[in-house]
Amino acid sequence: MTMTDTQRTTVVTPAGPVASRNWRGSSLAARIRLLTARSLRTLVTDPRSVMLALLQPVILLVLFSQVFKSLAGTSSFPAGVSYIDYLVPAILVNTAMQSALVSGVGLTTDLTNGVVARFRAMPIWMGSVLTARSVTDLIRGLVQLGVIIVLAVAVFRFSPAGGVPGVLGALVLAMAVSWGLGWVFLAAATWLRNAELMQSIGFLVMFPLMFASSAFVPIAGLPGWLQAVAHVNPLTHAIDAARDLTLGHAAGNTPLVTAGLTVTLAAAGFTAALPGIRRP
Amino acid sequence: MDEQLSGRDNLRLIAGLLGARRQEAAARADELLEAFELSGAAGRPASTYSGGMRRRLDLAASLVGSPEVIFLDEPTTGLDPQARLAVWDTIAELTSEGTTVLLTTQYLDEADRLADSITVLAAGRVVASGTAAELKARVGRRTVTTSFTKDRDPAAAVTTAAAAIAATGLEPVTDPGRGSVVTPVTDAHDVTTVILAIDRAGLEATELRIAEPTLDDVYLSLAGPGAGHAAYPAAAARTAA
Repeated sequence: MTMTDTQRTTVVTPAGPVASRNWRGSSLAARIRLLTARSLRTLVTDPRSVMLALLQPVILLVLFSQVFKSLAGTSSFPAGVSYIDYLVPAILVNTAMQSALVSGVGLTTDLTNGVVARFRAMPIWMGSVLTARSVTDLIRGLVQLGVIIVLAVAVFRFSPAGGVPGVLGALVLAMAVSWGLGWVFLAAATWLRNAELMQSIGFLVMFPLMFASSAFVPIAGLPGWLQAVAHVNPLTHAIDAARDLTLGHAAGNTPLVTAGLTVTLAAAGFTAALPGIRRP
Repeated sequence: MDEQLSGRDNLRLIAGLLGARRQEAAARADELLEAFELSGAAGRPASTYSGGMRRRLDLAASLVGSPEVIFLDEPTTGLDPQARLAVWDTIAELTSEGTTVLLTTQYLDEADRLADSITVLAAGRVVASGTAAELKARVGRRTVTTSFTKDRDPAAAVTTAAAAIAATGLEPVTDPGRGSVVTPVTDAHDVTTVILAIDRAGLEATELRIAEPTLDDVYLSLAGPGAGHAAYPAAAARTAA
């Protein structure tokens, strides 16, 4: 462990201001690429987080497809639709929301282990740190949603009327939800800086929203008061949009409404997250 | 540090963010890893590093861009003596190369050893600043430390002794945690005064030491027995006289 003089010379000569480096700082794109690669590498070296994040949607897929199978054919259920075709778009949106939460929790880790503190002390725009986080989580989300779709097709005979274009549409929509909500959770992370708290709040908010929506049963099948909640629940719009695309129904303006909502969420999240992450 | 990245990747990332090209970043990372004796652990995730290795990696990361000014917040806290010496050597080397280092520390011997200019804070206020020699000169040349650790009631003995010494016009500082009283003195006469005062108070000192001042003494005398003293553990952690 002792430093010898020769070794020391190699440190300091380049470290001294005499040998000042002519690095001019990285471009925004290069920075986002580097930071994204860094976060993605963490996913590859520790794939447990991806696996664990996949577990919940897979369990939902298995359980709900069996439990609610008999719903298909009841009066409130759309005629001629199998329950799995009805369920998968909701699972996609749900997974996208979970992915958004994980995004925030990941940032909390960086905020507490000194990584963000170091970035703050460097000549880089903190927005690029946030953007890299967002891009990473979009990539991770895409992998997860892809796995779910493949699994649904291969194991559960998911073959909706909307076909490939419909499913791709639902995928894009779910990604948009993940992106918009992701920014909200990133903002929350920069201000709360506590992973447990983030997770509890995320669960508290998302769990009831999920059930008080059209996710698992048609709204018409819900009790009256819950119908009222489900109608104002923004998640209902997102799931309806994803489902209409999947089932090949005329989606009307629900995808537009969802897109508008996610852009608003993303803008609000970004606006709150930037001062949040700069706060020491 | 990103715990899941290796030490090498952490340094390469920082170099890249500062605008280094891929090869430059790799070269700079290897250079620093070698210098901080982390080459052997370069490929391991930072989460497997010991406290000393982390500190060195942290310091290496700060030096990637060859900054002219470096702020170090308690760089040696919690390090083993060997790792501390290594960090001290690095800092000394940096300053000799012309880099300005501003460091905070609880260890006054660290400040004494490294700093050209020292600012002492107590209870959030600047109580003194200057070179180590200037600060030491402010508290007189020597101190007499009298300990009462074997007394039946060391705390009471410390109080009584301090009062007795204070009555002679000297300005003793109590260190209740060590059961001792530290009195700045200027000459042999003052030493006698301290001993006589204790004797007259009916006390018997377990130990009597005459010491050249350390920055700890400076701190104790500046911060005083009251304000800020208890809140600053370093003040009580005296160096060997």
